[in-house]
Amino acid sequence: MERYTCKKYEWVKVDKTKCDGCGDCVTYCPRDVLRIDNQGFPFMAYRDDCWYCDVCTFMCQLDAIRLESVPYLIK
Amino acid sequence: MGVKQIDADVVIVGGGSAGTFAAIKAKTANPKARVVVMDKGPIETSGAIGRGMDALNVVSVPGYGTPEDVVEALTKVSEGILDQECAYTLGTEIYDRIKDLEEYTGREPGDLFPVDDNGNYKCNYLHPTKKALYLAMDGEEIKRALAREVRKLGCIVLDRTPAVKLFTTDGKVSGIFGFNIRTGEQYLINTPAVILTSGCVGKFGMPRDGYLSGIYEFPGNTGEGYALAYHAGAELINLECFQTNLLMKDFNGPSCGYVVIPRGGCGVNALGERYWTHGYWSGDMFLAVWREFAEGRGPIYLKLDHLPEETIQGLEKILWGTERTVRGQFHKQRDENYRRWDSVEQGLEEITLCSGHSMSGILINKNTETTVPGLFAAGDCASVPHQYLPGAFVFGAIAGKMAAEYAAKNKAPKLEADGNAIWKSVRAPLDLAEPGLPAELVEIKIRTKISQYLTPPKSDPLMQKMLWWTDRIRREDVPQIKVCDYHDLIKATEVQSIIDCAEMAARASLFRTESRWGLSHYRLAYPKVDPKWDGKYVVVKKNMSSGEMEVSAKDVPKYKWDYSTRLEYDYPEAKLNIGEGFTHPPNDTHDPWISEKLGVEGLDVPKRMR
Repeated sequence: MERYTCKKYEWVKVDKTKCDGCGDCVTYCPRDVLRIDNQGFPFMAYRDDCWYCDVCTFMCQLDAIRLESVPYLIK
Repeated sequence: MGVKQIDADVVIVGGGSAGTFAAIKAKTANPKARVVVMDKGPIETSGAIGRGMDALNVVSVPGYGTPEDVVEALTKVSEGILDQECAYTLGTEIYDRIKDLEEYTGREPGDLFPVDDNGNYKCNYLHPTKKALYLAMDGEEIKRALAREVRKLGCIVLDRTPAVKLFTTDGKVSGIFGFNIRTGEQYLINTPAVILTSGCVGKFGMPRDGYLSGIYEFPGNTGEGYALAYHAGAELINLECFQTNLLMKDFNGPSCGYVVIPRGGCGVNALGERYWTHGYWSGDMFLAVWREFAEGRGPIYLKLDHLPEETIQGLEKILWGTERTVRGQFHKQRDENYRRWDSVEQGLEEITLCSGHSMSGILINKNTETTVPGLFAAGDCASVPHQYLPGAFVFGAIAGKMAAEYAAKNKAPKLEADGNAIWKSVRAPLDLAEPGLPAELVEIKIRTKISQYLTPPKSDPLMQKMLWWTDRIRREDVPQIKVCDYHDLIKATEVQSIIDCAEMAARASLFRTESRWGLSHYRLAYPKVDPKWDGKYVVVKKNMSSGEMEVSAKDVPKYKWDYSTRLEYDYPEAKLNIGEGFTHPPNDTHDPWISEKLGVEGLDVPKRMR
């Protein structure tokens, strides 16, 4: 069995019913945290560089991405 | 893909608050100049004000304060260790920058900044002086507006392309090298003028929550400006004055006292008692906080519950709507409510080197010139004590103008650097054979050591030990850093900048044989302010022949204004009596238990220990 690495623990959440994959959140993330996955949706490729600044939420015109929580260690 | 070679007139390292203003003013001063902005992120959202900002913490505007009042306030909070001309310049220039911000954002007086019944910008009290020098701001969009202006003017913007090497030829600036952290594209730029505006050393001490990016300052600010200036031979000052961040416990935003205190909030200890005399974020306040904890009255809180409901709701709107918008969510997740007196828990978090909120940085004069020809600096990496965001705007603007003028008179010296050889050395962590060390692990190591060995009160033996660690990590660990992509490659540079800054901070702290600036340089071996250090900088500089770090004292420029250079506080006096009952055994003592054990087992060390 493959070891479970918890890589999927992310606090930036994408609403796939709203996201059109425009990539604005990826373009404007000041910490270069986000990338587009092979289905065309953003994900936290560099999760632990996130400063939870909320720019992704702020720059999204479709209200499709949101910072659901501060990181676990901060919470 | 080869190294792209570019010629420029002015290169700006960091497109934050100071950097964008520098670019705008350089291009305005000389529209034909090739002005390049390099930034780790996109300039629309990068740096300390990427998500907005809610105040200008030190201004002089008609009806409230004069430039002399700014000099008085900064002389006092820096305890006299400042170039008063820089403070005066901040006071004289900030009004024009306020007007610039209204122009760039397209907003009227009274909208971006509040105005009073007389039509003056409406200031509040903040500093431990008798003048109102704090101006609130509804600045959610100012970074986007500044970035728009930079692009509109035709500056060359290299987003996600941090500078990693700065070159001089015959002691003058001649070029700079950077790479794109997504594509790996490399740029070698030949230029006569570089402006360092790359922010503070935000990633320095470890936050107590253990999250590497959970810091007060923007985590892209890792001290590259300090390190680039140092290796180019520039002088740096005040590196012994640590910003000992008093923050909302575990949350990386400010508490935010500067918004709350002018509106009636206050700080209290665990007994609900007020423990400070003023609300200004300075070393004496940090010392007061430290004492509350040391004497058992922590945690401490920012108290708001006595304020009218309308004020509390207004504060929630401001505090949760600008700068650190996750703050409201953080409170809710911790079941905190501003209507309870003990809701906003505060703590002394990670230490930082910063000019804007404190004093540490590259030595500049009022024209933003460093001690290296062609090298200018502004913002949080350039030492103008307590200049805050207004200083970034004012000195960024001056740096842009001065660098453009310098470039018009001075051709770029011949750049002798070999782009391919530089890239090979910069990308070494990519090419290193696996496994190597992850950059994050080395970062954790140096930052935990900084927290453990440098956090005030400062201990001489611990600071000496820090120097052992900087040497060891630099020698043994840095060459082992292994990364797998360009995004992580910049972290290898960041770690080296942090190590350089840690060494500078330790050496500067050991050199200043007194305590000053409250907790910021509370040195246990010298727990008093020593008048012999009045008016003296500690200067750190690289000896360009030997490569050694040199530390010396230097007079601050002669004061033009005779203002008080003292905050009122005393360092705690330790009165310790550890009691009696233990007598040290004589040196020739033979312990019968050890003798018996050796008699039975012999002197052989167990195999696993060999």
